[in-house]
Amino acid sequence: MTTARFTVNGQPVSVEVENRRLLVEVLRDDLKLTGTHVGCDTSQCGCCTVLVDGRPAKACATLAVSLEGRAVTTIEGLKGADGGLHPIQQAFVACHGLQCGFCTPGMVMSTAGLLAECPKPTDEQIVHGLEGNLCRCTGYVNIVESVRRAATALDGTRS
Amino acid sequence: MSSTATADATVGRFGSGHSVRRIEDPTLVSGTGKYVDDVSIAGQLHVVLLRSPYPHARIASIDASAARAMPGVVAVYTGEDLKVGGVKVMPTPSPFPRPDGKPSVSAPMWPLAVGTVRYVGEAVAAIVAETRDAARDARDAVMVEYEDLPSVVTIDAALAAGAPLVCPEAGDNWVAQARHGDAAKAADAFAKAAHVVSLELVNQRLAAVAMEPRGILAYPDAETGKLTLRLSSQMPSGARDTIADALGLAKDQARVVVGDVGGGFGMKTGAYQEDVVVGFCAKALNRPVKWAAERGEEFLAGRAGRDCVSKAELALDADGRVLALRIRTDANVGAYATTTGVVIQLLIGPWVSTSIYDIPVIDFDLRAVMTHTAPVGAYRGAGRPEAIYIIERLMDAAARRMKLDPAELRLRNMIRPEQMPYTNPMAQTYDTGNFPSIAKQGLALADWSGFEARAAASKARGRLRGRGLATFLEWTGGNQFEERVTVDVSADGFIEIYTATQAMGQGIATSYAQLAVDVFGVPIERVRIVQGDTDRGQGFGSAGSRSLFTGGSAVRVASQRTVDEAKALAADALEASPKDIEYTAGTFSIAGTDRRIGLFDLAARQPAQRVYVDSTSTVSGPTWPNGCHVCEVEVDPDTGEVDVVAYASMNDVGRVVNPMIVVGQLDGGAVQGLGQALCERIVYDAESGQLLTGSLSDYALPRADLARAFRTELDQSVPSVNNPLGVKGVGELGTIGATPCVVNAVVDALVRGGAPAARAEAMQMPLVPETVWRALHGA
Repeated sequence: MTTARFTVNGQPVSVEVENRRLLVEVLRDDLKLTGTHVGCDTSQCGCCTVLVDGRPAKACATLAVSLEGRAVTTIEGLKGADGGLHPIQQAFVACHGLQCGFCTPGMVMSTAGLLAECPKPTDEQIVHGLEGNLCRCTGYVNIVESVRRAATALDGTRS
Repeated sequence: MSSTATADATVGRFGSGHSVRRIEDPTLVSGTGKYVDDVSIAGQLHVVLLRSPYPHARIASIDASAARAMPGVVAVYTGEDLKVGGVKVMPTPSPFPRPDGKPSVSAPMWPLAVGTVRYVGEAVAAIVAETRDAARDARDAVMVEYEDLPSVVTIDAALAAGAPLVCPEAGDNWVAQARHGDAAKAADAFAKAAHVVSLELVNQRLAAVAMEPRGILAYPDAETGKLTLRLSSQMPSGARDTIADALGLAKDQARVVVGDVGGGFGMKTGAYQEDVVVGFCAKALNRPVKWAAERGEEFLAGRAGRDCVSKAELALDADGRVLALRIRTDANVGAYATTTGVVIQLLIGPWVSTSIYDIPVIDFDLRAVMTHTAPVGAYRGAGRPEAIYIIERLMDAAARRMKLDPAELRLRNMIRPEQMPYTNPMAQTYDTGNFPSIAKQGLALADWSGFEARAAASKARGRLRGRGLATFLEWTGGNQFEERVTVDVSADGFIEIYTATQAMGQGIATSYAQLAVDVFGVPIERVRIVQGDTDRGQGFGSAGSRSLFTGGSAVRVASQRTVDEAKALAADALEASPKDIEYTAGTFSIAGTDRRIGLFDLAARQPAQRVYVDSTSTVSGPTWPNGCHVCEVEVDPDTGEVDVVAYASMNDVGRVVNPMIVVGQLDGGAVQGLGQALCERIVYDAESGQLLTGSLSDYALPRADLARAFRTELDQSVPSVNNPLGVKGVGELGTIGATPCVVNAVVDALVRGGAPAARAEAMQMPLVPETVWRALHGA
């Protein structure tokens, strides 16, 4: 067993874990943060996407012990300025960018990572930014639209 | 319906007909949804399943002693253990006899294999432990000795002389046969036809790939012993009944609860073997037990879709009028022929084989075949995509042979509005539809006649452009038309509506809430839609695009009955005659006076602090949504890659409750149809019987780059007359239209690019670059 110390949504976390334990298992089982979903076992679907030090990472392919000293943000840590929905979450609602919602936390976190790096993405950049996330319901068209809308909204808050 | 309130502006914005934002979404976007694996119970155990690595083998022995001794392991169960424990075979009756006329037989589908495994991935043992990791570790220590037996995974191999048998009692690998139509009349029509076209068409096996894998949390009630199963299911009541039967429980001793469902698409209908296994473990150990499917298990053991091979022929006269349609289909239903798997290919699909065309004669010979592969069940469209693919491919081939515009050939054959209601050769009656109008609107939306200019522009860029068309209808409903709804108007200011249809992402809570707002005239925040608890209400569930027209209609009726009942109570409260009571926007008043009482205040005055109505109602028949889908593709002649560059559709789904949701269903459905056309395919190795597409890195799902340009329009002028809302089902329409229109577009591009028609038409899905390149270049 190894102790891993990192932060999750700004809160310090210290967990005793086997070396094989995955971040997604720590989040879901130990911390009860079940918004990070498991949709596959080969790191294809992206349902488990979180931010590690601000960049998207697949929590099903991240060992908890590798996170020493790092900052993890999950869907539960995403908040708007008023404590309500974050502009990215609002954009997904406004654009009907989700149906069953299972892939949505991962889509939202990938979007957060994309827009942090690329605030005004082209459609090509959006599609590229979402290539690690699968959705079976929406056909992606409204997800891409959601990202466009979120980019505009976030750009407005920066200027 | 004088009491229906629409006057209030706030209410009006949230009633039907408006793109109301979904009430489901704030929870789901913030990660606080409750999918099965998100719910845990203190003290729960975890179960993992050991699955067969062989497609066909006798289980010589299972030694679980080492596994049982491992830390954290609580129990290991085999099929024999379950059988001794009273678990029964799961029923798989076919309503159709075998081709030799004898009753259909299928191998016994045990929840865990007993004696013999019949497909790679069939569950052999259940390992229960304190943690999932401990259970997985112990799974590796369960020693199973198999005697490998010869197997068949393809239809051809299964039907070859001397083929290994999936079910020895059957004597061969046939399951069932259905004959429809009149073979002699069809032979006459083909003999006198001016044109005959014939195609071999494969609808390849697909995986539904709901993003949430299946899961089960089963827990017995400590005092009553009643077993509750939390499932990811589209049909909680049917699942409960099957699970209870298999476990030897009375139906009221089992309860199925469903929270958020991460997609269903047909593969979460009915009970699975795993449901029975996990229920057994919880009963046997008297503790909560959880199972969460790994994605690989979903590919191995989730119900697959499609998988049939058809020879299809069309006879036409000199003017292009279709005289007869002849279809021979062999459908691979897997190792266990489930009722659903057989009926989809032998009956439900054929109901729409003649589609929107006035085809007088049919001759269908449809057969189901067993193989050593996972059982086949429902997948979005369930038979109708296969049927529509066949007729729409034939229409294009016929137009090409006759040098006719494919739109013109279709229009010549369409059922005219004045023929409604129209009964097709499968004795299915379409209540309403104006197919030529929908077609013409769809063609105009796609600028069908302006195609040549775009093709020239593509050619200038070195690309082959093609256009494809699908004009079609489908049947919705599951032919289960009754729905029960309870309405509970409570003193705390909420109207809670329970329905036994089941959300899985379609947004039906929002649509139902809008329908309730229509009747109650209260803000939508006052309405709560509750689903997924067999102790609160039972019904068929959600499948076959039935929820809105059956469940939504029932919500409308139940809401109206509630207002009517409350009106009588209001008359008592206001000391007036019921006929003088008016209801508007949450308030009852005596006509012409200022004496009034609010709906929720009225509830507060009742002995139980509520007004409660238990309402059962029925709609009078299925719905027949239809559309005209037009697709344009560009093919790269050097690589065979297909780019979907335009997709336009006009759709008749009757009246629309929430346009945003409906368009979302159509576009999302269309991308699933594109997936079948262009990239998806379940592959078993013919030699070894192994599943080659057992993960999301092997099974190609559409990604965000597949299609971006949908123009999706709705024509609401032809409502269904079979339900009070005038709505038609929408969940599967997009999927059904997309597959043939994309394939037609690729074939068109290749023929325009110089490929012989016969070679282009012989391509089988998915149209991956290699397939397209070979067809184009003859290599």
